[in-house]
Amino acid sequence: MPEALSLTLLNLAYQAAVLSLIVLGLGIVFGMLGIMNMAHGEFVMLGAYAMVAAQRIGAPLWSGIVLAILVTATLGWAVDMALIRRLAGRPMDTFLATWGLSALLRSAVQLLFGKGYQNVEAPNAGMSMLLGTGYPTYRWQLMLAIVIGQAALAAWYLRSPAGARLQAMVRNPDLAEALGLNTRAMASGAFVAGCVAAGLAGAALAPLVRVEPSMGLDYLLISFFALVVGGLGSLVGLFAGTGLIAGTQSLVAAFADQTAGYLALLLVSIAFLWLRPDGIVKR
Amino acid sequence: MASSSVDETLKTARHGGTTPGADEAIEPKALPGLRHRLRPMAGLAVVLMLVPLIGGEFRAYQIGLYLLYGLAAQGITLAWGRAGLLPLGQALFFGAAAYGSGLVLKAAEARPLWWLAWPLVVLGPAAAAYGMARLLFARRSESGPYFSLITLALVMLGFQLANQWSSVTGGFNGLGNVPELPGLDRYGSMYWLIAALVLLATAACVALRHSPLGLLWAAVAQNEGRLQFFGYATDRLKALAFAASALLAALGGALYAPHQGLVTPQAISVLLSAEMIVWTAVGGRHSPYGALLGAVGIGCLSAELRDRFALWEAMVAIVFVLVVLKAPGGLWGAIERGAAALLARWRVVRRSLPALADALQAPRLKPHGGRPDKRGPDQEGLDQGAGADHALQFREIAVRAHGVNILNGLNLDVRGRGIHCVIGPNGAGKTSAFNALTGRLPISAGDVLLFGLPIRRFHPVALARLGVGRKFQVPTVFHELTVAENIAVATWALRCTPVELLRPALLRWRAPMLTLLEQAFPFLASEGTSLAGRLSQGQRQMLELAMAAIPEPRLLLLDEPCAGLSPDETRRQIRVVMQTVEALGATAVVIEHDLSAVEQMAGQVHVLHQGRLLASGSLADVQASAQVQAVYAGGRK
Repeated sequence: MPEALSLTLLNLAYQAAVLSLIVLGLGIVFGMLGIMNMAHGEFVMLGAYAMVAAQRIGAPLWSGIVLAILVTATLGWAVDMALIRRLAGRPMDTFLATWGLSALLRSAVQLLFGKGYQNVEAPNAGMSMLLGTGYPTYRWQLMLAIVIGQAALAAWYLRSPAGARLQAMVRNPDLAEALGLNTRAMASGAFVAGCVAAGLAGAALAPLVRVEPSMGLDYLLISFFALVVGGLGSLVGLFAGTGLIAGTQSLVAAFADQTAGYLALLLVSIAFLWLRPDGIVKR
Repeated sequence: MASSSVDETLKTARHGGTTPGADEAIEPKALPGLRHRLRPMAGLAVVLMLVPLIGGEFRAYQIGLYLLYGLAAQGITLAWGRAGLLPLGQALFFGAAAYGSGLVLKAAEARPLWWLAWPLVVLGPAAAAYGMARLLFARRSESGPYFSLITLALVMLGFQLANQWSSVTGGFNGLGNVPELPGLDRYGSMYWLIAALVLLATAACVALRHSPLGLLWAAVAQNEGRLQFFGYATDRLKALAFAASALLAALGGALYAPHQGLVTPQAISVLLSAEMIVWTAVGGRHSPYGALLGAVGIGCLSAELRDRFALWEAMVAIVFVLVVLKAPGGLWGAIERGAAALLARWRVVRRSLPALADALQAPRLKPHGGRPDKRGPDQEGLDQGAGADHALQFREIAVRAHGVNILNGLNLDVRGRGIHCVIGPNGAGKTSAFNALTGRLPISAGDVLLFGLPIRRFHPVALARLGVGRKFQVPTVFHELTVAENIAVATWALRCTPVELLRPALLRWRAPMLTLLEQAFPFLASEGTSLAGRLSQGQRQMLELAMAAIPEPRLLLLDEPCAGLSPDETRRQIRVVMQTVEALGATAVVIEHDLSAVEQMAGQVHVLHQGRLLASGSLADVQASAQVQAVYAGGRK
């Protein structure tokens, strides 16, 4: 296999894997619970800043991940109590309130860490040989971890009793409640899990991207479009949408530039809203 | 009903028909409404004049910038405050017009012919917004996060383009040396142009909000699906709201370029878009004054305090969240409530619709409905041919959803005018048959013929325009509109084009059917100014029946019109159904569980069972059928 082709393929796989990690959180919150959390990207940003904080005080890498989980879980729980539950049944107000929250989180991080870019040193900074080309070790290790993690999560969701209860809540909340499931507690738990997923994604990405207070918006938009294209509330849709969006963006970006990649992504999403408004997989 | 008799009944309604109490309630309101609108506008004019006199020229220059942003924020009050569409990327139109204006002004320095392109700078973004909204709303009848996030993504794209395409936009450094508008000093006389345009835009916003179109925007925000059943193409209504919003933003942007002399990517940024939403929300999303208050008040304060006070932006974010949670009307909403309390003390009552004495008769629709001039090929020759006798025919209709057969080869033949009752046990497919006809359930096999012609597009708007009216099982009136406004929405249905919706005279239209309906339901006149959401369940049933009858349908689908009514009310409701059908010469298909009501309405009875037709005939025939007795033992309530 020619080196350029294998590098392109690896990059494509990498893009899709990373995107699926970010989309997962929004897939839980928006796709399953129907809550449009506009501050979702800021949870990704907080996860990345947890790594920055750990690096600043010279703590080991794993402590940054633990910090990311702690911060996003606590904050997710607080947001659920203070905003999401109170605004249940008012989707537009939830949208606006979480959007205000995103501005608040950005300015809070800016106060703590300053406006500028932060760098996080990657662990395993070396290169490995993969498909006949050199590839950063951290990247392929991350890809592998994502694939294993997602497969385990999918198996849990589709096979375990807890997963079945979640599916019941997603498909028919009223009936699930009538059957004795505590849907409120489950929804809160799922919301927090979605926020933690975003935080973990941020922590994992921190060594590879520019970490800055306003980095969240990009991640919010791209995960939202992946969900629009894939269809809400199903795992297959989530992965299909992720693949299509990541593929479109990185292919166009490889041939033209980043702006063209972004434009292509936007056009694909608008075309889907127009021609297939329920996405690839209709629930 | 001939039009002369309608005139007579109208006259009696004007002079003798209403109770004195109702007259008193309605009389004093027509003029104060207008005065109420002029007073704040005069106040705004005075404030705008005082700015340069008190603050001096430089202060006026600074405030002029925020007034331009305020124009964009006023657009947001139309799209979001009125029609419920949140444009998160308002700076896209502001910035695009700013760059366009800068380029045209620079080009016009060398070749004055370029001046001809300047109006396009304002109109182009509005046209683009209209086209984009039509595309996005063509298939999706909702205004939720999809639309807002697309606008946000578009402004991000615009920002990237402005940064990258530096041969045209000047890139990061911006497009500099934009000349002033001829004869207008940017630090002096240009302020007066801005002030004049702000006044004009405010007047236009107020007029639009109170126009029939503005009322329909409010109805879209409340219940878009219901509006489609009156034949309104809601995607166009929403696209118009978004275009109006973009037009105001573009106007602000087009003046921004000569005012600042420099256009940087900041003018087309997510940040500016976000600020515009915050200004509108905190200032007051329901009023053009609120938008100005927010833009000038918070905008100027932010410019002063952002760098001096580290917590400023966090505080603004917190205030925004609190406004969303606790005070959706924002600052201006609070001011208005205070003013309303004062006015109530002076006994001045507001109303949005003029008094009954000014009523104009709404044009009577051609017999058998449909817009008079816009008859499609489907509607031509409807009264000729063999099919005209059959109002509605279902031929082997099958509907499947989630693996369940809801309709199983339903054959139903509704022949002739008058009332047809559809009965059957729960789950027989009665409401599903209505839903299949009006496009709420996809039909997997079979044909439906309306007046002998096959239906090609199963969509509420298409069906309403073919003369099909529907009343739902659970009444779905517009809760946040008054009773009179609800009736007005039904009155304009099918009677006017979008351009006509700008004529205030429409607010005085009175539908020919209304006289009959008000005689049966006096609250339609006497409670005209109360919100429909405050009505009792029974009154909502009556209001919804009235709203289904006012567009004069040829085929009226009534789903349990008497549910939740007392025996007396039930009798009256049935009488109105019969009178309506008689007056319109229409066919009504009524789903009803109460067999005594079915008996009263007489006419044909169709029994449905498990998605199929079980029997048709008179009530006595049907009751005698052994099959019907088997599935429907007994039956009287």
